Amino acid sequence: MLELAPAQAKAQGPPPLGLYMHVPFCANTCDYCAFYQTQPTAEAVRGFLAGAAREAALVEWNRPVDTVFWGGGTPGMLAPRALAELGEIVRRQGGGDPREWSVELAPASVTPQRLAVLKDLGVTRISLGVQSFQPALLEALGRQHTRPQVLQAYARVRAAGFASVNLDLIFAIPGQTLAAWQADLAAALELQSDHLSTYCLTFEEDTALFVKLAQGRVRPDAEAEAAFYTAAWERLEAAGYAQYEISNFARAGHACLHNMNTWRMAEWVGLGPSAASQYAGWRSSNVADLDRWRAELAAGRRARTDPVELTPRVLAEDSLIFGLRMNEGVALPALRARFPEAPWEKVEALAGRLTHEGLAVSEGGALRLTLRGRLLADAVGGQVMEAFESV
Amino acid sequence: MDVSLKRNFCIIAHVDHGKTTLSDRLLESTHTVTQREMKDQMLDSMDLEKERGITIKMHPVTMSYPAKDGKTYQLNLMDTPGHVDFSYEVSRSLAACEGALLLVDAAQGVEAQTVANAHLAFAQKLKVIPVINKIDLPSANLELCTRQLEDILTIPAEEVILASGKSGIGISDILEAIVARVPPPRWADHAGTRILVFDSKYDAYRGVIAYVRVFSGTIKAGDMMMLMSTGQKAEVKEVGAFHPKMEPCDDLGAGDVGYIVSTIKATGDIKIGDTITHAIRPATEMLPGYKEVHPMVYCGLYPLETQDYEKLKSAVARLRLNDSAFVFQPETSVALGFGFRCGFLGLLHMEIIQERIRREHDVDIISTYPSVVYKVKVHGGETFEVDNPVNLPDPSSIQAIYEPTITASIHIPNTCLGDVLSLVMEKRGTCEHTTTLDTTRVMLTCLLPLNEILVDFNDRLKSMTRGYGSMDYELGEYRESDLVRMDILVNGEPVDAFAGIVHRSKAEGQGRSLCERLAEIIPPQMFKIAVQAAIGGKIIARGNVREMRKDVTAKCYGGDISRKRKLLDKQKEGKKKMKQIGRVSIPPDAFIQVLKNNS
Repeated sequence: MLELAPAQAKAQGPPPLGLYMHVPFCANTCDYCAFYQTQPTAEAVRGFLAGAAREAALVEWNRPVDTVFWGGGTPGMLAPRALAELGEIVRRQGGGDPREWSVELAPASVTPQRLAVLKDLGVTRISLGVQSFQPALLEALGRQHTRPQVLQAYARVRAAGFASVNLDLIFAIPGQTLAAWQADLAAALELQSDHLSTYCLTFEEDTALFVKLAQGRVRPDAEAEAAFYTAAWERLEAAGYAQYEISNFARAGHACLHNMNTWRMAEWVGLGPSAASQYAGWRSSNVADLDRWRAELAAGRRARTDPVELTPRVLAEDSLIFGLRMNEGVALPALRARFPEAPWEKVEALAGRLTHEGLAVSEGGALRLTLRGRLLADAVGGQVMEAFESV
Repeated sequence: MDVSLKRNFCIIAHVDHGKTTLSDRLLESTHTVTQREMKDQMLDSMDLEKERGITIKMHPVTMSYPAKDGKTYQLNLMDTPGHVDFSYEVSRSLAACEGALLLVDAAQGVEAQTVANAHLAFAQKLKVIPVINKIDLPSANLELCTRQLEDILTIPAEEVILASGKSGIGISDILEAIVARVPPPRWADHAGTRILVFDSKYDAYRGVIAYVRVFSGTIKAGDMMMLMSTGQKAEVKEVGAFHPKMEPCDDLGAGDVGYIVSTIKATGDIKIGDTITHAIRPATEMLPGYKEVHPMVYCGLYPLETQDYEKLKSAVARLRLNDSAFVFQPETSVALGFGFRCGFLGLLHMEIIQERIRREHDVDIISTYPSVVYKVKVHGGETFEVDNPVNLPDPSSIQAIYEPTITASIHIPNTCLGDVLSLVMEKRGTCEHTTTLDTTRVMLTCLLPLNEILVDFNDRLKSMTRGYGSMDYELGEYRESDLVRMDILVNGEPVDAFAGIVHRSKAEGQGRSLCERLAEIIPPQMFKIAVQAAIGGKIIARGNVREMRKDVTAKCYGGDISRKRKLLDKQKEGKKKMKQIGRVSIPPDAFIQVLKNNS
């Protein structure tokens, strides 16, 4: 099982530091995807690499990074040489070998050359965007790979000897039955990856799926989604993958540290267009536009938007909202010691209510959501915000 | 003009029996208006009235008629509102007449309202002239109508005039009958000046315009007048007659119908039924029949959109200017926000006011369940009136509650007798008499509590008789009854808009249906929420709000945290628009849905 204790419990000293790199390139846009991405022209890639170097140099690093995460887009759109260049930027600024280094790859982009470069850089974890093993569903999502490509990619990643491999799956796809979802879970389990992320399809604004939704061609169904969630949780638990967050499951020792640190309100620096940071007292996002991001950097400053000051109140509130999404829950006494000025009376009352209603359990000072509570994690988050009167 | 050449009369009829068309023919035939001027329904000016074919407000008109005896008569026609809600106003306008045309639709025969109105006319000692109208309809049954008039109203067959407002048949017979049969103005030689106020209208520039019938004496601009019920004095600014438009004249004398503009500005100061006399040398005795009218039915009116409150406020204030029987005061509801507690003469009055607010003032409104005025006697002997369930005192302090009753006259086809009787019983009523109207129809005389007919009685009567049933009623006495206040609680918190006073025997059924509907309409909640009906502290029915099954976003990475916060903020923004009942957020339209479904 997970040997990770809640970060708040050992909270003395600076929290772990993460580095997130947003590689904003995709060959095409998936119907459900709202992440920022653009076409990888040679010029755009050169500009991105230059910008990344410049941005990394502008950050006032105060300690080495513990974890690195490359997402996108698909970092695999970069040629091996470009991957190496980007990796050097991270190594130069990050101060040596991070404890965990994840890279997201689309199955179609997995080549032995790229994997070799990543392995040499010290990448420890590969996350494959499988989404589904079934052609019809991949089609429905607008994905560009096939089942054989997925199997080949997985075999190559394993052969390259990465310490940890994750598969991303999506469920509640329009047209997907519960049986089809079970079949995808079975196919994933057969590969025996170290980690599985299962995402309920969300309808994000500005996506092709959202347009279909708005036109009434697809319809989200909370009951069905709940059934899909529960099916995955039961199946993966039984197969030895412990759930540690709403959408994440891992075999012992394979939980993604980078993400857990994020949810525990540690610190991270986001580089690249649209990347978000939480560092040195502020939370902000880079502008979601490659050209404007580069222009700002060329002018000697990071292109940050939506700054939010990280007051103890904000951090305490978000520690609860995001901490409760994790199975470890939130150690209330430790959080209280860290942020004594939060409205604890109301938080305790809410904890009592959630426990009373069977949405949470309280064990040794840690408040954890039950299965039913996890299915309502957003509503619980809303209640936390109410307790903090942040609205 | 010689008093003996004046005739004052009105037309009374059941809805749709052709009163307005016939009035129009009379105006045309006496050249009071030319055909070209004649808009289809001259006397009914409000859209709403035209649409419903009913008259709400009275519009008198003076006609000049050269009769066959060679003399020219002044005929004053009083149009009357046809509904029991306005029965006091009807009785006052009848009191301004000496005769009445009783109109019966040749195809429909005598209906509930025909009977009720005829009785009112008899009570005012009017000469009733029976007219069977629409005789040119293929389905006309003259023999049946005549027999009904004889049997039900004891009106001799030989007095009946056959007519058709549409084609003009019988119009001259009617005019001749008015001259010959309606007596000349009564009480003209009374010592003092006595003028009956039978209606009033508010004019933004001239203040209150009183519609009057002069019984004795004269009145003219410059006179000091006095209202006999209050002793209030005012100067007369203008007097005039209706031709049919208001036209000023030098004076009004005995037997005349016209209007008076005075220095009085508030509608409430000139009450219908009051007697106007001269301030100097006043009459010693008022005209008979004056009484204060009180609202019988109350409900809360709220704007659907909170920002429309000011608009609603000005709408009710303006309606009140012309309608002193309509009362209102501000009220606040947890469920519905800011609105008004409004009092009406009856159901139709309530419906009309609501429709006028919607149409003429363009405010979307929702109404709470109507309530009647109860009389509550508390231990220690004090008795007071309660028109809002929220004000009903604690059950332990109540000695007795009295509710208003009605005597209903219900006309139905024989075949529906069983259904209608069980409806009457379900509504806690009793049937006192059954009268056969003809081979296919019967008339039931029933005693019913007023509050039982407020919501769906008429609709159900209409639907079980496929539209053939009709009902009219008179208010009866207050009767002691086993009434309780029922509260609806959401998560233990009372929702004021749903509180009601109900008969104990009905509380459970009504409570259950309300709870179920509310529980159904409230969106799924993350906590277990019960909707309960309670009497005092005792829960008598409950419904469970559906539990939320899934409300979770799958992805929450570093980059998503700000977005996630925004999403939650957005949800919160939506929640702000919700009504908070205890800890439960309920979309405001949930309450509205339930209230709507019920009406």
